Amino acid sequence: MLTVSIYRYHPELDAKPYMQDFQIDTGGKDLMVLDVLNLLKIKDRGLAYRRSCREGVCGSDGMNINGTNGLACITPLSKVVKNNKLTLRPLPALPVIRDLVIDMDQFYKQYKKVKPFLLNDTPAPGIERLQSPEERAKLDGLYECILCACCSTACPSFWWNPDRFIGPAGLLQAYRFLADSRDTATEERLADLDDPFSVFRCHGIMNCVTVCPKGLNPTKAIGHIRNMLLTRAT
Amino acid sequence: MSDKRPVNLDLGTFTHPLISMVSICHRISGVILFVGLIFLFNLFDTSLEGASGFTSSQTLLQENFFAQFITWGLLTALGFHFSAGIKHLVMDLGHGEELQAANNAAKFVIGLTVILAILAGVWVW
Repeated sequence: MLTVSIYRYHPELDAKPYMQDFQIDTGGKDLMVLDVLNLLKIKDRGLAYRRSCREGVCGSDGMNINGTNGLACITPLSKVVKNNKLTLRPLPALPVIRDLVIDMDQFYKQYKKVKPFLLNDTPAPGIERLQSPEERAKLDGLYECILCACCSTACPSFWWNPDRFIGPAGLLQAYRFLADSRDTATEERLADLDDPFSVFRCHGIMNCVTVCPKGLNPTKAIGHIRNMLLTRAT
Repeated sequence: MSDKRPVNLDLGTFTHPLISMVSICHRISGVILFVGLIFLFNLFDTSLEGASGFTSSQTLLQENFFAQFITWGLLTALGFHFSAGIKHLVMDLGHGEELQAANNAAKFVIGLTVILAILAGVWVW
């Protein structure tokens, strides 16, 4: 039997969130955390969590699993469970709507700030805008982000300044477009980021890199942006 | 409604990787050093009050365990703050930003601090 402790909060019934324990029979199998949640959902129909693709592509089921942010669907019990106990909490720092479901509004606001789309003021060519293989390779490790928010909600700088610090997820995307050879708005993008909070609140704590379910490295991307800002200023 | 929503920010329930512990300790050691300046300036001030002041400061550092402990603590904090600061500078140059490398760097900083703490202890006592 596995003891599962879950953060519960119902906005209409509970004044405060509380932890609820369940006992669950995993049948000795190394299930994914999401499978355990699905088993619990049979026991308690009121349990709320987000999930969609159940294979680490959509980024819906980011949560705090035994103290570390991750995607429930691709986190096997064997990787996180110690002493037969699994503790599930919502992602940190963002407001909880119900149980494990958080309000991602602040996260998306920061994402929106970096204009996560290609900006190019030259006339559109008859064919695609071409890139050399080398130019395309610069986007590897950047474009794979699924915006699950595991990184930004693991970042102490984001915890204390969610409204002013863009956060690792947003900054990874900012660099994804700064590094894109087809984007012509580099100067405007850098000007938007050039303040004490947007980028420079990153202190290299690297919780983002530790938790990223896709193995990406926002710290490195932030380092590149910082260098671009410094080069631009001199 | 939204301002009534709870936030899960119970730091005690999170796991804190070594890299982030080194990062927060960097900050804490900086604060310790800043506060410790009160002690050091006081001592410095006393030692400049003439020959008797100098002797009394000297005696304090040679005989008072508490004063020696503070001195050792500040030297250790300085050793940690310094090594972690160098790590930051190296990272700013674009090295050690991979997870494994950063982990090794964090371990190196701790190891170096232990050595510096022992050396500081030998020097103080």
